[in-house]
Amino acid sequence: MGNKVLVVDDSGTMRKIVIRALNAVGFSDTVEAGDGVDALEMFKNSSIDIVLTDWNMPNKSGVDLAREIRALGSTVPIFMITTESEKGRVMEAIQAGVTDYLMKPFTQEVLQQKLEKYSLA
Amino acid sequence: MQVEFVNPFVLGTCSVFSTMLGCELARGQLSLKQGLVPEFEVSGLIGLSGRCQGMIVVSLGRETAIKAAEIMLGDRPAELNADVCDAVGEIANMIAGAAKAQLEEYQLSISLPTVICGRNHSVNFPSSSTPFVLPFESAIGPVCIEVGMEPKAGA
Repeated sequence: MGNKVLVVDDSGTMRKIVIRALNAVGFSDTVEAGDGVDALEMFKNSSIDIVLTDWNMPNKSGVDLAREIRALGSTVPIFMITTESEKGRVMEAIQAGVTDYLMKPFTQEVLQQKLEKYSLA
Repeated sequence: MQVEFVNPFVLGTCSVFSTMLGCELARGQLSLKQGLVPEFEVSGLIGLSGRCQGMIVVSLGRETAIKAAEIMLGDRPAELNADVCDAVGEIANMIAGAAKAQLEEYQLSISLPTVICGRNHSVNFPSSSTPFVLPFESAIGPVCIEVGMEPKAGA
């Protein structure tokens, strides 16, 4: 599969879990960043096809990252993996350009279903 | 103690341990917190604010914390190191997030996690709260969730 996935989370543990789940469903080309600042630089400097990001991170949040990726004119799918579930927060993320949501804790099956929903898996 | 806070943290803890660690939890007896020292050596702390304020402490023994990190990371950490602290912080974050989702009327925000390691460390809950303790048994060892929350005056 040729999709390059950028995984963004300030927790190295969560990045490992997400990358392991991605590998298991056929995505082997992954890069990772620990906050939105590093992620945006990676996004600008390499060809990223899918972004999976946490919301609450130091330096730059996932929702700000999504907003800035969209401001670059990109339409890549951006998935938020987060504990933020309130309607207002979901709306804020969607308005920022987030494609879809995964709630923590998530399973590999749910991740696969989300990727399949957008014909990515 | 407000009883409506208990079940969201029970369900959140069981959900996180089941989904992320493959462990089913057996719940022990609910009690009020006595003193300042958490039950075990490793504490994952998350602050909660909104229409009420407070804190949750996820308390694990050293070996339980290392086993939890091993399951999450896929490799066993050699000792109680930064990887273990990161894993415990993420467990606390997910438990707080899952509970928060069931307490929507309080419009809670959660802080980034802090992890403290060491025997006999103290944790001060907000002075107006009456913290409760939820003990659990699991295949990787005992776990305690301590929660101290009170509605904000005027909220």
